[in-house]
Amino acid sequence: MSLVRRASRRHLSRHPGQLVLSVLGVALGVAVVVAIDLAVQSSREAFRVSAETVAGRATHHVLGGPGGLPDSLFFRIRVELGIRASAPVVEGYASSPLRPGAALRVVGVDPFSESPFRPFVAGGPSGLDVSALLTVPRAVAMTAATAERAGVGLGDSLPVLVAGRRAALPVVGLLDPEERLRRSGLDDVLIMDVSSAQDLLGMPGSLTRIDLRLPQDSESGALEAVRDLLPGDARVEPAGVRTAALSEMIGAFDLNLRALSLLALVFGMFLIYNAMTFSVVQRREMVGGLRALGVTRREVLAGVLREATWIGGVGAAAGLVLGTVLGRGLVHMVTRTINDLYFVVSVQDLALPPAVLAKGAALGLGATLLASLPPALEAASAPPRVARTRSQVEARASRAVPRAAALGGLLAAAGAAALAVPTHSLLVSFGALFLVILGMALLTPAGAVLLVRVLRPAAARGMGVLGTMAARGVVTALSRTAPAIAALVVAVSVTVGLGIMIQSFRGTLARWLDGTLQADVYVSLPSPMASRAAGTLGRDVVETLSAFPAVRGRSTYRGVEVPVEGGVLRLVGLDLHPLGEGAFDFLEGEPGEAFAAFRAGDAVLVSEPLAYRRGLDVGDSLTVPTPKGARALPVAGIFYDYGSDQGVVMMSRRTYRRLFDEDGVTSLGLFLDDGADAERVVEELRSLVPADRTLIIRTNATLRSASLDVFDRTFQVTAVLRLLAFAVAFVGVLSALMALQLERARELGVLRANGLTPGQVWRLVTTQTGLMGLISGALAVPMGLVLAAVMIFVVNKRSFGWTLRMEVGPDVVVQAVALALVGALLAGLYPSWRMARTSPAEALRSE
Amino acid sequence: MRAPRVPRGLVPVLVFLSASCGEAGRDDAGRMSLVATLGGADTAGYARADRPRAFRFPEDHGPHPAYRTEWWYVTGNLADGTGRPVGFQLTFFRNSLAPTPPASSSPWATSQAYMAHLAVTDTERGAFHAFERFARGAELLAGARARPFRVWLEDWVLEASGPEATFPLRLSAAGGDVALDLVLEAGKPPVLQGDAGLSRKGPEPGNASYYYSHTRLPARGTVVLDDDTLTVTGAAWMDREWSTSVLTEGLVGWDWFALQLDDGWELLVYALRLSDGSAHPLSEGVLVDPQGTKRRLTWGSGVLVEALGTWTSPHSGTAYPSTWRIQVPDRGWDFRVTPVLEDQELNLAFRYWEGSVAVTSFDGATPVSGRGYVELTGYGDAPLPKR
Repeated sequence: MSLVRRASRRHLSRHPGQLVLSVLGVALGVAVVVAIDLAVQSSREAFRVSAETVAGRATHHVLGGPGGLPDSLFFRIRVELGIRASAPVVEGYASSPLRPGAALRVVGVDPFSESPFRPFVAGGPSGLDVSALLTVPRAVAMTAATAERAGVGLGDSLPVLVAGRRAALPVVGLLDPEERLRRSGLDDVLIMDVSSAQDLLGMPGSLTRIDLRLPQDSESGALEAVRDLLPGDARVEPAGVRTAALSEMIGAFDLNLRALSLLALVFGMFLIYNAMTFSVVQRREMVGGLRALGVTRREVLAGVLREATWIGGVGAAAGLVLGTVLGRGLVHMVTRTINDLYFVVSVQDLALPPAVLAKGAALGLGATLLASLPPALEAASAPPRVARTRSQVEARASRAVPRAAALGGLLAAAGAAALAVPTHSLLVSFGALFLVILGMALLTPAGAVLLVRVLRPAAARGMGVLGTMAARGVVTALSRTAPAIAALVVAVSVTVGLGIMIQSFRGTLARWLDGTLQADVYVSLPSPMASRAAGTLGRDVVETLSAFPAVRGRSTYRGVEVPVEGGVLRLVGLDLHPLGEGAFDFLEGEPGEAFAAFRAGDAVLVSEPLAYRRGLDVGDSLTVPTPKGARALPVAGIFYDYGSDQGVVMMSRRTYRRLFDEDGVTSLGLFLDDGADAERVVEELRSLVPADRTLIIRTNATLRSASLDVFDRTFQVTAVLRLLAFAVAFVGVLSALMALQLERARELGVLRANGLTPGQVWRLVTTQTGLMGLISGALAVPMGLVLAAVMIFVVNKRSFGWTLRMEVGPDVVVQAVALALVGALLAGLYPSWRMARTSPAEALRSE
Repeated sequence: MRAPRVPRGLVPVLVFLSASCGEAGRDDAGRMSLVATLGGADTAGYARADRPRAFRFPEDHGPHPAYRTEWWYVTGNLADGTGRPVGFQLTFFRNSLAPTPPASSSPWATSQAYMAHLAVTDTERGAFHAFERFARGAELLAGARARPFRVWLEDWVLEASGPEATFPLRLSAAGGDVALDLVLEAGKPPVLQGDAGLSRKGPEPGNASYYYSHTRLPARGTVVLDDDTLTVTGAAWMDREWSTSVLTEGLVGWDWFALQLDDGWELLVYALRLSDGSAHPLSEGVLVDPQGTKRRLTWGSGVLVEALGTWTSPHSGTAYPSTWRIQVPDRGWDFRVTPVLEDQELNLAFRYWEGSVAVTSFDGATPVSGRGYVELTGYGDAPLPKR
């Protein structure tokens, strides 16, 4: 073993705490990145596998509009066009009291048409009794795993709720596809005969889609012929296009989470840099000695980097394990948000794609090496024999402060400039955000020096010589205090920034809900997806509830999704009661004119995210596919809406009915007589609902709080990330400050020998770390505000198309400073305890 | 008799389920994944063929959904102006999956399943084409009705083509590179098989079917064979049979001969085979004279059948008897019955041999010759297709 290796090993083994903290820093950073990556990837993968399994081997899908496709279209495609590899599909969602929170996907198929597409539902040995599926009303088949989760078996009935109607589905088949992938693709899927699915979903005579399997050589001719038969709002698309488009819906959500997770790794890098710098500085004499013995610069450099590789490797490995565990917890939060806001996906298992793990490991190792490079170069540049003295190092560090500040200013300015570029690109936005963070981090040493100057007189007044010593210590040991302060500042500022962002978002939403929820009572269908319902209320219910004595008016709402190029368009047919007009807060368009056009003609109102995505202004027109062909509808107003980041189009119910030949109601807003007790009315309305149905009837206030609950659920992941990021930074600060103080053992020993009491040592150390905490907190507040502003006004707008109002509560600021202070003080506890009880003689003994 | 074309034991309760999308003769890889069967003995809720009944036409040409299984079975030998022979088969099977239709408002809801087979024998080129289809009995996909008569599975159709409720019939079906478009005239009146139409298949009451045949339907029309479109004439044979429970214990299959002789007579022979290869006593022959009058022939004395050779399918490895000597002593007939093509095996979800045959004199002394169709079921070991 070479001299360098032996020296390195010996040093690390004598400073195990330092080693552990370094490894922990890498591990936490990698864990957060990997956990988020795994959670998001698992959701996407589950969605893809499920979509592919259910799509089977179809090459194309014919997709219907809100009213579905008429059965006769299938017959025409099958018999008249002779496309025999065609299969009808009826799809929808159900929930079950046996699977609280899960969205069960109902897939109705014609087993006779299935084998070119989904051999596993063609029956027979795979476990499907097709005969029973066809002839037992509402019979259902599912994978054995799905049945087990619901606690049902063959012969049992699965109770479900579909569009508010209760039904019991006899289980007649348990599927056990041989491929594991296919099994998981069928998680929470209920296979029914097409007739039963039409009954259950309340859509007799219509299909959700028709699957086709076209041979390549005759594809274009067949597609042409199929298109000629289609109603205006139907489309035929190659398989996979829809899945990809839906999957894209979570692109911004995904990127936001990943960006936040990368922050954790950046904190990890600070930590490594700090630890490596410290360990190099500690060994400056030894390095000098080694160089004198003939060890080359290259060998020293390699030695330090080798250490870094070990730390990075071990840290990354630990991070992968930790990330997998963490991912399991996060995946459910991520999945729930995706279900609430985007599309239904069921994730039972965390997928562990090797690529994600490899990426996590590489990031961890790369970050460690990158962070170790400056200290490694520093060590290698030391001349033989006596390497730099401490004072030399510190002098260099002090000289570097203005240079770092200049560079930081430059980076922050570049970031700001990049943010000003009018682009929809999120990568540019996040890149710019990282530049700003890095720039501000580089500015912190200068800020710290400045603040110390400001605080020193106060410290001196309060604590005399000890105060002055503590304050000066921060500046004189800048090589170690600066990275620690920077890490703490970044961590706290990100916590502050995220906190303000969430607070602003929630505040905006709450205010919007106050304005939007104008009716006194709301009636809707229970749905496993928070932001959208499937099915309709039923005319009888609408009329019965509207006719209730205390009800003086109603608004009806019909929400549907229309397939369009590259995704879906959420469309609402709205019968707006004049009392409800206040619900719209217009970003563009004059309310009076907008409502007049909306009520009188074809004009539509468009939500802000949709207008942002499509670049729509008032006066533009929006093309909407309808059964009668595509219609260009004028945009009369753009309104604030925080219900969907995909955006919605509102048209009057009359227009909707005319264009779509359909008159369902998805939800209902009831206006009550003045003085009516909403709670009591709700109770009475509930008693009017037919016994076989379950509807959600709630007051304005209940709906408001339920909406905020969904919001909180959505931001749970962000909150967790905020916490994790802070944990990483906290570990970093702890290790940096602790090492700093421990290294001062000799200095403190001298002070003790000169008569400093243990209590005074304790006060000195605590004051110094406390000072650093205070400085960090003070610097973190403005930086956090800048970050919050960037996230609110740039990242959010570009990700989701929402305009948020920034709200800064004092609690966030106080929290930040307190957090920094407490973190720093905690870090000072152990060193001061140790110093205080070590005898001066012991402390003075050289290493 | 026309038995369910289902090998051994699975009869009579079949669900024709699968996914025959490919029309082309299927290879092993494309074989259907399922032939589901219901419990064979479960006849509860269905009507039984347990006593003679009065047949009424045209109503009885239509479906009898109270019974579990039913088929419309047309075979025939045709030739174009140059004498180029073509044999064909088009069969529609109906199967009830439950005695009563499911309660549902969906147009897809049904308890009826349909299966159809199309086969064309191109003797000159030595080619045999066979196709199968499956569909639920939902209005526009598959079904049957009496007035006007129509039975169909997608665009394979047998239907009344004129103003009358039934005849003349139009038969139209296509698969791969072959297509049939024929008109079938009424020809002779229907022959009620067995005991006034009650055809017993076992000693137990109820193990029987209702069965009638049109033994000679003059046919004309066009046949597409690959690139050739032939204008053809000839004679077809239609069997109609419905039942709930047919096969008795111990029967493994049957050999069925429908021979149309040049002098206007028809000979029908069916041998119900027991597992030891012998014929069940209920096997018999039926003779139909030019006026349509039938006479029953006792198995073993009135009619004698002897297989002269075997043919082993290169597709399934199944060995079938091939070429027979059939004697009807009363009429002084001694026939040699020879497949026009050995390979007329329908290697489909349900595998059987059904093909066009030539009828010639065995000893040179029988003055009459003819054509016909032979069906062989219950051979081979694999009642269920490979997965």
